Amino acid sequence: MSLLALSFTIIFVMVTMLISVWQKLDLEKDIAIGTVRAAAQLLLVGYVLQFVFNSNHPLFILAIIVFMIIIASRNAAKRGKGLAGIWWRVAVAISATELLMMGLLLGLNIIEPTPQYIIPISGMTIGNAMVVAGLFLNQFKRDIQASSGEIETLLSLGATARRAVQNVMQRSVKSSMIPTIDGMKTVGLVQLPGMMTGMIIAGANPVEAVRYQILIVFAFTSSAAITSILLSTLSYRQWFTKDLLLRQVD
Amino acid sequence: MPQMLEIEQLKKSHANTPEILLFRDVDAAAAQHDRIALLGSSGQGKSTLLRILSLLDIADEGVIRFAGLSSKQADPIQWRMKICYVAQQAVMLPGSVEDNLKITHELHHIPYNVTLVKKLLTQSGLESLDLSKKASELSGGEKQRISLIRALLLRPQMLLLDEITASLDQCNAMRVEDMLEEWHQQEGTGMIWVTHQLEQAARISDYVWFMGNRTLLEKSPTRQFFEQPATELARQYLQQPLVKGDELCLS
Repeated sequence: MSLLALSFTIIFVMVTMLISVWQKLDLEKDIAIGTVRAAAQLLLVGYVLQFVFNSNHPLFILAIIVFMIIIASRNAAKRGKGLAGIWWRVAVAISATELLMMGLLLGLNIIEPTPQYIIPISGMTIGNAMVVAGLFLNQFKRDIQASSGEIETLLSLGATARRAVQNVMQRSVKSSMIPTIDGMKTVGLVQLPGMMTGMIIAGANPVEAVRYQILIVFAFTSSAAITSILLSTLSYRQWFTKDLLLRQVD
Repeated sequence: MPQMLEIEQLKKSHANTPEILLFRDVDAAAAQHDRIALLGSSGQGKSTLLRILSLLDIADEGVIRFAGLSSKQADPIQWRMKICYVAQQAVMLPGSVEDNLKITHELHHIPYNVTLVKKLLTQSGLESLDLSKKASELSGGEKQRISLIRALLLRPQMLLLDEITASLDQCNAMRVEDMLEEWHQQEGTGMIWVTHQLEQAARISDYVWFMGNRTLLEKSPTRQFFEQPATELARQYLQQPLVKGDELCLS
């Protein structure tokens, strides 16, 4: 894409701005900040990736993945605000998911061990794990509040913290996985995924692009399950005090 | 008789507004087989006191000991198995009525005694209840009785009963009282029973703890409390109109 063509994309932002002014949505400032940030971040990432691809050094790849995990964990942990130590628990869940995914993909020679494969697929895995972790924490918090009577009844009968929230955990894990599973059912019919679209636009054979997309979709399902289950196991105790009372989390 | 449950200088404020005192200076003790009616006007913190005793809430100050062991040193799971709280608003666990009754077996591997369950169901007027029915579909009164039987199957040493007959008609309330009376005789389970029905309190208890003026004002044998309450507040409380069909019976 030429720079001129890229500059024309600003028209989309202007349309949004005009709608905001016309409908008095008061979103102009946020749109402006979002536009500048998106452009700057993506351009910066482009240059960083170019540098890493050229250097092909494992340490740079690792640094980028660690950076992604930190940002993703901080973002998802916001959904568990008020819970002590939730950030590192999310980080462990996302890191374990990424480690397992990459281990399988590289170990089974599904992808080549080059930054061109590792970084984008890691980005997608970590991004998906972040969304699932956020969904799980949000849902778990809501479910715990809604089921406090059930949890307290089990506690009053001498249940452990894990048993007291077991049903709630299952419901929340399921809820956090539903968008990924629904996405798998409609992929290609309702939406053409970003990775596949990008490859096709860049000139790749559509069938080859689809193969990679299938890989990503299947990997997402697995990563959603792993992240959600791991995070639920790591975090359920945070909803209880040391005296095994249900904690009030705002 | 040695005291099983000891309460010393318990203080509790409202959870959301700590500046509002619920009760303070609560001192009491109960022997293992005591049946105590916990009386007092609404808002005195009776339910909160029961919840604190079963470690489902925490006191701001004070000490609770059971069999000499302080609640602060105790394992909350072991404690709750010994001192079991039965809530006024019975909550059914997901699944069938039978799933609810089997929960203590599932949690603690306590043998599920079908004969005992049938006996308790019959005693509480639930003999014709379909145990495969979804527990969430039960009426309020049925839920309350299932919740009580569920707690009995845990065989706690002390039961904390929070207005457990509030949703029952007089006939079924009496059945539950009789069932608990027999249970008490056979198992020796101690009971602290919150009730607003004076007739019931007179029937089911050996002692009365009366809460008023933000503390535990009186701890007397039941007959003494009803015949000669020590405080003016208790006298006024006893003069409240009886619930319809409820007559004070001390014999």
